[in-house]
Amino acid sequence: MSFCSAQLARVRPLWDRMLAHRFLRDTRDGTISDERFAVWMRQDYLFVEAAIPFIAALLARAPERHWEPLAGIITALGKELKLFEERAQAVGVDLRGAPPAFANHAYIQFLMATAYRASYAEAYTVLYAAEKAYHDSWKAVQAGLARDSKWYPFVENWAGEAFTQYVTYLEGELDALAEQAGSEERSRMGTYFELTTKYEIAFWEMAATGEGWPGG
Amino acid sequence: MPLSTDLYKRAKPIWDAQLDHPFVRGLRDGTLEIERFKRWVLQDYRYLKEFARIFAWAVAKADRLEAMGWYAKVLDLTLNSEMALHRSYAERFGISAAALEAEPMWPTTRAYTDFLVRTSADGDMADLLAALLPCAWGYVYIGGELANGDPPADQRYADWIAQYASPEFAAAADWLKGELDRVAAGAGEEKLQRLQDLFVLSSRYEWEFWEMCWNGEEWRP
Repeated sequence: MSFCSAQLARVRPLWDRMLAHRFLRDTRDGTISDERFAVWMRQDYLFVEAAIPFIAALLARAPERHWEPLAGIITALGKELKLFEERAQAVGVDLRGAPPAFANHAYIQFLMATAYRASYAEAYTVLYAAEKAYHDSWKAVQAGLARDSKWYPFVENWAGEAFTQYVTYLEGELDALAEQAGSEERSRMGTYFELTTKYEIAFWEMAATGEGWPGG
Repeated sequence: MPLSTDLYKRAKPIWDAQLDHPFVRGLRDGTLEIERFKRWVLQDYRYLKEFARIFAWAVAKADRLEAMGWYAKVLDLTLNSEMALHRSYAERFGISAAALEAEPMWPTTRAYTDFLVRTSADGDMADLLAALLPCAWGYVYIGGELANGDPPADQRYADWIAQYASPEFAAAADWLKGELDRVAAGAGEEKLQRLQDLFVLSSRYEWEFWEMCWNGEEWRP
């Protein structure tokens, strides 16, 4: 079994918990409040912004075959920011000025610490797990969300064919990196896979509760 | 075969070329002109400062507490003891602390240390160690070889050889070798090739460092 398949099977209970999260369910069913969805928009906008230096840090240490694809991800993240800005304007949400919530802040620091401190294969694991999580999460939303929903452009972005192909590409590359890794490194890659999944769940939870920082 | 043994075999021709370099041969028999050696004293001081940064990265990247502590100790020793020792040693050649600080990095020192710090920042622990070892281990190798013969008449050169031939330096190099073998265990072909490239490149920079000190160097223009 490939590394990615094995990891997805291993963290399946976590993964299922993520896909069944009430934020995704309520978005899928069209019952989520605009206020609640706006919390997610503001926070995810900050996360996408922070993902750009994460990818750049990966690119700085990437093998040559990854240079163009990683540069392409940075461009795609720029387009994602535009999608947020366009949707925010369309529905009257102000994206500016929101500080990152604790879970978001922690997730962003985790990305950067991984990019700087862990091996390239370990950091690439975080990239794949995060993108795969978003792909599968928005696929779950796509299963029920009306096409005329104001939130459908987000479904098109992460559950569309182009993103599916991109995640499949990442999967192939991560499997190849895992093939090259020693057993200890591969074990750490598994730990990063699981931790990223947990952060994804924490992110949906943060969006659902609107929590800021513990203790107020 | 442990990875470090394999790397040593691959780099040995370069290490032996260092032993055969006129600068090193001059140290061995005491014929090296003081003016040439002073270049080493000045440039190595600049090198040491950057070398310390590698250990700071190693502390940040180590995967277990014992390794973190070891690197932290070397970092502390380098910054708070060895730099002072180097300044005292420089005084024996009439080089003041101010002159050491004012010395510009020559192109080879700049290129080598930038390579080391960049590899430490970008790479993982195995990369860092593969780039670092040709200095730490290479000096032990050269010190050991030079200590085999009669010491040079100039006590300053004899002290230099004795320092790098000391059991403390050898123990440190052995520890680093063991760490590289440990963290690179099970690495695939692509990774092993990268580690070999880093090790050979640093070995070449070591040779270039002797060459720079032998000839003198400057930025052009």
